[in-house]
Amino acid sequence: MARPSTLSFDRGTLILHPPPPGKAWIDYATWDDRVERFRIRALHYRRLVEVLTAEGTTLVDSAREFTPLTLVPALEMTPYPHQREALAAWVAAGRLGVVVLPTGAGKTYLAQLAMQATPRSTLVVVPTLDLMHQWYAHLLAAFPDTPVGLLGGGSHDSTPVLVATYDSAAIYAEALGNKYALLVFDECHHLPSEFPRVIAEYSLAPYRLGLTATPERGDGRHADLQSLIGPEVYRTSAAALSGTVLATHRIVRLTVKLSQRERERYDTLLELRNRFLQQHSIRLGSLAGWQSFVKASARSRAGRSAMLAHREARAIAFGTAGKLRVLADLLAQHASARTLVFTDDNAMVYRISREFLLPAITHKTAVKERHDILQRFRTGEYPILVASRVLNEGVDVPEASVAIVLSGTGSQREYVQRLGRILRRGEGKLALLYEVVAEATSEEQLSRRRRQGVLARPYQQMELLETELLAAEGGEETCYQPTC
Amino acid sequence: MLPADLLMQRYQGEAVIPKRLPCSADNLAIAAELIALFQAATGGTRAELQAQLQILEGEETDYRMKRGLAHLLETAFSTFEMRSPLDPATIRQRVFALSAQSIPGPQGSAATLAAVAETLSHELEREVSPEQIRAWLYADLPEQQVLTSFDAPTPEALLQRYNLSQAQGVLYRASHVVITAHRNDPGEYKLLFRYVKLFGLMAYIEGDADHGFTLTIDGPTSLFTPSTRYGLALAKMLPALLHVTRWSLAAILVPRQLSPYTPQEARFSLHAGCGLVSHYPPGKPHDSILEQAFAERWAHTRTAWRLEREVDLIPLPGSVMVPDFRLVHPDGRSFLLEIVGYWRPEYLRKKFAQVRRAGRHDLILAISERLNLERAGVKTDNLPARVVWFKDKVLPKAVLEVIGE
Repeated sequence: MARPSTLSFDRGTLILHPPPPGKAWIDYATWDDRVERFRIRALHYRRLVEVLTAEGTTLVDSAREFTPLTLVPALEMTPYPHQREALAAWVAAGRLGVVVLPTGAGKTYLAQLAMQATPRSTLVVVPTLDLMHQWYAHLLAAFPDTPVGLLGGGSHDSTPVLVATYDSAAIYAEALGNKYALLVFDECHHLPSEFPRVIAEYSLAPYRLGLTATPERGDGRHADLQSLIGPEVYRTSAAALSGTVLATHRIVRLTVKLSQRERERYDTLLELRNRFLQQHSIRLGSLAGWQSFVKASARSRAGRSAMLAHREARAIAFGTAGKLRVLADLLAQHASARTLVFTDDNAMVYRISREFLLPAITHKTAVKERHDILQRFRTGEYPILVASRVLNEGVDVPEASVAIVLSGTGSQREYVQRLGRILRRGEGKLALLYEVVAEATSEEQLSRRRRQGVLARPYQQMELLETELLAAEGGEETCYQPTC
Repeated sequence: MLPADLLMQRYQGEAVIPKRLPCSADNLAIAAELIALFQAATGGTRAELQAQLQILEGEETDYRMKRGLAHLLETAFSTFEMRSPLDPATIRQRVFALSAQSIPGPQGSAATLAAVAETLSHELEREVSPEQIRAWLYADLPEQQVLTSFDAPTPEALLQRYNLSQAQGVLYRASHVVITAHRNDPGEYKLLFRYVKLFGLMAYIEGDADHGFTLTIDGPTSLFTPSTRYGLALAKMLPALLHVTRWSLAAILVPRQLSPYTPQEARFSLHAGCGLVSHYPPGKPHDSILEQAFAERWAHTRTAWRLEREVDLIPLPGSVMVPDFRLVHPDGRSFLLEIVGYWRPEYLRKKFAQVRRAGRHDLILAISERLNLERAGVKTDNLPARVVWFKDKVLPKAVLEVIGE
């Protein structure tokens, strides 16, 4: 009798040899001259095994190295209706699919439920080191008898339950591919990008769960989530959950005037830039316009100084001293409140940290220290925390009741996620979001773009609250005059 | 190597041409100026170094080239270290914990720093000022690290490294490369394949020792979709290829779609005479003293058979065998010789399996007699190769005997 066909795993792919009888498997196989064997995408593992089994073929499966786990939860809560529905929808879809939940709706607990329903070795992939530690802490508490490890941020564990960053998981995708049966992608809109997508492509995991608040991507690649994870199986919005899970919140926009000196410098710089743009008939405001500016600036000395002027003007608008004065004022006003301060760039974070002596977190902060700072923030030892983009996504900071956004880019996702930070559930908590922008600078347009995007999405309730607030204060916007 | 934003390349149709700095007086002067700047910056912080570099950049349009040269000096020739008497994380924790007691602002900050300075003055038994505390607070940030030593290259070496890095940078976007290795003696293929294996690449090999080889190099998943996943590995392989004597390389590139004018696909080619200089150490001429001694003995042996080193490649499924030597007779006959000096049973078993799979009948294995094969559990039957057993040295006479001379 012929040797049975063996399926083995080779650096993110499958090799099937000797070729089995039957035909259905051929749809998935490609002949590889380099090894003189049939090679198959790891992503097709489940379908391949299904068709071979359906044809009654004997298969020696030496590819999979994932294992069953005994997951005894030490942490159990009554799931919210949306968590129960989402889990049921995912299971009904064959344990393959994307669940869309707003930030703060308990994605981590939903993933825990999915793991309990699919007790196999599990890889959880997250975008930031903060999220990594949040998941790690949760899984340790949930499954104290199961080894939980980390990949990324200085750790390189290989445990049956592993939490990894997208970057590290993509770097080691070839090695991780056959070790996990369940993949959980947190903030899964990151996955379809060119580099991280291999985490899904090089894996034979038959079960996959994607979690996100905002699956849509500017480049349209969210369509790839279908093949990398599965179809969207469940979606609910912040509006639908309002009052049940999420705290109500208010948004206050503060406009800062530049100081006389800053204003003069800003105007001079913009004039210098605009003169160059006019001479070269370049119009900013579109990507193409920006690209031609970048090109022109590399070609001549005048272009180069126009670009440097543009940068300096932007820095004045983003980092103006007036914002720091407003910050000092707001911090004094909310002296007893748990407060998060967001800024756009690391330099500003460290400047605030040095001047106000406040703990700060950026992507440069070591994992251990970051964990420590967040811990102290949670216990209240540090009432205030300054952060750059690093805290943008879904980090659980339950006690924060005030958020101050000092500057930001026009990206819609970022804004929603920053809001999400203070939308965490709290007992009778009224969260406050301050957005501090400089007046009559290009930054104002960014802020407008951000808010438009948000208003068109599920956050209508915010519009109401904001209008009410503005009406109550009897003015359009609160205005700060520079004092120097 | 350089980060993507410091790469400079232009298109000529679909061909990508990386920036190349000729060793002109101007370029050498720029390189020398940068090297001098780094030498002068030794002992200062990275932020100070960067400020100096920014001044040097000025408003000139060649800033990307200068930044590229500076990046290489910073990453390949410099050592940075953190300077603070205490772990900055500890200082931060003490400062922030104390600062949390007061309302944030200038007065609160001054009082906090003064209090911490006083405590630390006692602990360290020396005067510590509040300003020092502020400086130590983030001493571990990259920009606060101190350039402690700088291993200055010559200006020529810096330009060479830059040109190599620009060429490597083109390969970041490569889906695969095709290397045509012409008839080479010595071939230096072992070093090349060592890197191919090290970086997880795969090779498809066609050709023979007399006419040269075509090596298609990519990775396991390239079979399904050409991707740039292996671009970085291919870039790292390039310096190893530069040690091979006669070759040409063609790469298919998937350019980042930055503008509507960017082509969907592009090409890059390079050949042995490209003038790029490798910074990888060259492979040793011989793997062992045994081989070296054998080659020397052969040179003194009176025979028509000529000895060539590492000239042939025997493709095996998923692997390649590079025999140490090839023996060529003027009448066209040839044999391949592999010397197996110090071996463990596992190694020998693998080698024999390879020889069986190679399906070649011109192989000679010279194997050391230091172990009893039967007792080690290695079977020698059904081995398609001729075998020469030796004790301390491989004698040309013994090798000539097995080929019937």
